[in-house]
Parts: sequence; C-alpha cells; structure tokens
Amino acid sequence: MSKIKFLFLISVLVITFSVSLFLGPRIINPFELNGTDKEILLMIRLPRVIVATLMGMALGASGAVLQGILRNPLADPYILGISSGSALAATLGLLSGMYMFSNFSIPLTAFIGASIVSILVGLFGWKKGGLWPGRLLLAGIGLSFLFYAILMLIISISANEVTRRALLWIFGDLSIAEWSLIPYGFLFILAGLYICISRAKALNALMLGDDFAHSLGFSVHRERLLLFASVAIMTSASVSLGGTIGFIGLIIPHIVRFLAGADNKKLIPLSALCGGAFLCIADMIGRTIMSPAEIPSGIITAIIGSPYFLYLLRKKDVLST
Amino acid sequence: MELTYSAATKKPGKIWLLNFAVSILLLNYILSASPASAEIPGRIISLAPNITEILFAIGLDNRIVGVTNFCDYPEEAKRKPKVGGMSTPSLEAVVSLKPCIVVMTTDGNPKEFEQRLRSLKIKTYIFRARTLTELPQGVRDMGLELGAKEKADTLARKIETAINNPPTPPFTKGGRGGITEASQKKRVLFIIWPEPLIVAGPGTVIDDAISILGLENAAYRSKVSYPKYSIEEIIRQSPDIIFIGKGHENIKEVSKRLLKKIATVPAVKKGNVFYLSDTLYRLGPRVINGIEEMAGCLK
Repeated sequence: MSKIKFLFLISVLVITFSVSLFLGPRIINPFELNGTDKEILLMIRLPRVIVATLMGMALGASGAVLQGILRNPLADPYILGISSGSALAATLGLLSGMYMFSNFSIPLTAFIGASIVSILVGLFGWKKGGLWPGRLLLAGIGLSFLFYAILMLIISISANEVTRRALLWIFGDLSIAEWSLIPYGFLFILAGLYICISRAKALNALMLGDDFAHSLGFSVHRERLLLFASVAIMTSASVSLGGTIGFIGLIIPHIVRFLAGADNKKLIPLSALCGGAFLCIADMIGRTIMSPAEIPSGIITAIIGSPYFLYLLRKKDVLST
Repeated sequence: MELTYSAATKKPGKIWLLNFAVSILLLNYILSASPASAEIPGRIISLAPNITEILFAIGLDNRIVGVTNFCDYPEEAKRKPKVGGMSTPSLEAVVSLKPCIVVMTTDGNPKEFEQRLRSLKIKTYIFRARTLTELPQGVRDMGLELGAKEKADTLARKIETAINNPPTPPFTKGGRGGITEASQKKRVLFIIWPEPLIVAGPGTVIDDAISILGLENAAYRSKVSYPKYSIEEIIRQSPDIIFIGKGHENIKEVSKRLLKKIATVPAVKKGNVFYLSDTLYRLGPRVINGIEEMAGCLK
C-alpha cells in the first residue's frame, strides 16, 4: 500500500513539474514549439522550475527534520534565523557593492550569511557536550529577531534600490533562477537530503526522548548534530537559490504526516517530494495570475499556508502533545 | 441716498440695521478674500521630491523650509531641513518648522497626514497632477496658490512645448505612411530595476513620454504602474528598444544577467539598449530633459 502511495506521490511531482513548465503567463504546447517558446522554455522556465523543485524539496525535508529534532510541530526551517541571517548578509553585500565581482557574489553572500547564523544558533544551543532542542529553538528565535531588526533598520535608512533588492531575499523571488547556480544548489541539497534520510531511524528514536534513543544505542548528541547540520545545509542552499519562501517547511511535513504517518524514513523523502511539487505549483500561480506582472511565490505559499497554519493551531491534538 | 430711503419707509430703524449687517458682511468678505490672494505663504514645506523640484524651478527656493528625505534635486534641496519620508513624514518635524503651507501630493503622501495637519490649523495645498498632460495645469495652479504665478506660467508653457512638439525620433519617421500606424510603432520597454525586474507600466510619467514620442510601451498590458515583470513576457513582446533607468552607479553590472537572459530580443540583438537618467521618474520640471534624452537615444 505504502509503495503505491509513494509511486503516486512521485508521479504527482513529475506531473506538477511538467505542468508548471508548460503553464504560465502563456501556455506552451510542447508539441508545437517555435523559436521563442523554445527559448522561454529552456532559458527561463526550466531553470526556474528546477530551482522551485530543489528549494521546495530542501524546505520540506528540513521542516520535517526540524520538527523532529526540536520536538515542536510549529518548527519551520526559518525559525532558526537562517532566513533573516542570509537576507541580512545579502543586503549588506548589496550595500557594499559586492555584486560587482560576479553573478555568484550575492547568492554566495546569502549562503555564507545563512551558514554563519546556523553556526551561531548551534553555538547558542550547545551545552554540556551536545545540542539541546529547547536551547536551539530559543537561540534561533532570538537571533532571528535581532537580524530582522538590523535588516529593517538598514532598509528604513537606505535608498529605494537597495530596499527593492533586499525585499527579494525576504519574500523570495524565483525569477532570478538561472542555470549557473543550479549545480551548486543541487549538490548541497542532495548532500543534506542524503544525511537526513540516512539518519531517519535515529530521528525516530530521538523523537521519543533522549533516554530512549540512548537505550536503543544511538549517540544522541552526535545524531542531533548531524541532523541539524543537514537542515542548515539544505536551508542555506535554498535561501541562496531564491530567497526566503515561507510555510513550505511548516505545512508540508504536516500534510505528509496525515497522508503517510509519522515514520521519518517515509516522512522526510515524502516531505521533500511534496515540498518540491507545492513550490512548483505556487510559483506557477504567482507568475500566471497577474500576468504580465509577477507575484513573489513566497506570498502565494503564505496565502495558502497561513489558513492551514491557523487550522493546525485550532486542532487540539497538535499543541497539547 | 440711504437717508432718503430710510425716511421714505415707515420703519427706518430696521432698515438701518439691515444696511449695517450687509456692509459688515461685505467688509468681512473683502477682508477675508484679499489676504488669500495678496498674502504670500512665506514658509513652505514640500512633501514630495517632484514638488520640491517644481518649487525650485519657479524660484521659491528661499521660501522652502522643509523637504522629504528623498528630495535630492536640485543640489540645494539636499541642504534643506528634512521632515521624513514621503509616506512617513514626521508630524513633529513639520510642526516645528512652523510652515505657512504644506504642499502635498496625491501620489505617495498619506491622506491621514493632511487631515492631521489641518486639525492642527496648518494650511495644506494638494498637488493633483498625475500625468504629463496634467502637469502644466498643476504647475500653474500651484504657482497661483504660492504667489509665483508668472514663473509658474513660464515653466508650464515650457513643459507644454516639450509635450506638444516632441523631437520626432527617426525610428518612427520612416515607417509612417504605407502600413497602419499601429504596426509601425516601435515597442519600448523601460526597465526601472533589473533584479528583481521592475518596469514602467501604464500610468507612469515614463509611459506618457513613450507615447508622446510615438512609441509603444511593451508593458502596456500591466495593471500596475510599476509591476514586477515576467521575463518571458519580455521575450514574447520582443521590444525594439530597451531603456534602463540609472537607478544606481553600477547599473550596467546589475543588468548584465538580465540582458543575457533576454539576449534574443531585437533591442538587445541590435544594441538598442540605452541607459537613461532618472529625469522621467518624477513629474517635475526635468521631464523636459527626460523626453529630449529619450528622443536623443533614438537617433
């Protein structure tokens, strides 16, 4: 049964991938391609859909892992302050004129910012030779507030142009997607996915409590550190690909739990697949409904995601466990 | 006359009273009407960059006591006291400058701010022009209100001349005649900022300038003035000319990536990509230069 569900989800991802490739401001018929269509398809839509899939996968999987290690159903990859840190780093990069060096500089700055924040959160969450969920969460929230405050301060005192570019990192913008960044993003996200899927069993044990995991023979602190590192890698890579896109990391793992249960061996890969599909669809909606203008996909995911978030909040069994 | 009239009536006292009341009213009217046209507001605060530019252009520089943080043209405007942003002016800063009048715009200033100023008995004037064609009248009206009628009239006439007799770009000249005019119009895209891609849509001064020059804005389908635009739509609309606003010193570097993505559109292929100054971003006196600059690129 679960195999059928898995195949079903894979085909859903393939279908959404191709649907978002051929639908858009104008529908492209794959069987009657003219020069312009081909160019749009290859140079603009394909990299964009790939980036959306990669980011969605990274965020979905990160959310599932983080909700596990923090033992908190409302955790989302950005709760660790990674988004605000990378947005701040990218904005500082823009202000300092870093983008002069190459196309990579700003995504690279964002990635470095995200990594520094991850390390900071890790340091604050570290006590007595290991990472502690409660400490991680609070450190993330604290740093997140701090970085957003600094970011807002910069935006409120700087010129319009920098503000516009900074907003890109806050709301997320997939229109900057292009081929050159994809291999790196792919590599990082794949590595992160590999780590967390291979540690899924340990995550199952960790969710039941540190003592229990220890009695099963897992090194609690080592596993938690590895899982945290996988989240940090995936989230940082996704932020540097297209900015912050909210709610995927929060709602997708919950949907998958309803569909396929809470076993992390299934939950993590399925959350990745569904996250990828969801972001593809959200981005497709964002670039289609107001055409020729575009709505950042972070806004679309939040519009779909927030009501669901509130619905989850209303459900008793979510917060009382 | 009055005396004979009152003598002729049976109730002279009441008529006298009526006459008195009428004359009081008349006097009151004269007194209240004359200062409005004769008294020139000495201390002016401008709450928009384009208004600041107009005020400087009609020779009111010495009477401006406050401007927004965004008022950076002409150079002297930067040295005027600042009262905050366009959408977030500081009430305290405005009040402490003791203005005789605060000039506001419908395009960017909050309405509530005007109401608050009025509740504090501070006079306001609202500049309502939103398009190039409305600009000359807007300048005239404002000049009249601020006691600079003649200079405002001169500026308005200059703008009218620029709008009504635009330098015809050679791009459209050759094509006129044979085929229908619409198909001859060159398509233009004005990129405000390449990443994220923001272009000038309908309802902007840039859009007005484009149509004055007999060109067509490629972003005409947008429902928003400054949309975040779809890159694939640029490729489909294949503009013949692309203007990029110099919002930044290194705009050429910033636009590289975008231009690479749209390398096949006629404008990029034929090298018809031009970098323009920010003169058309504001509905002020520099639109004249902006139209000239745009036309100059087309030669």
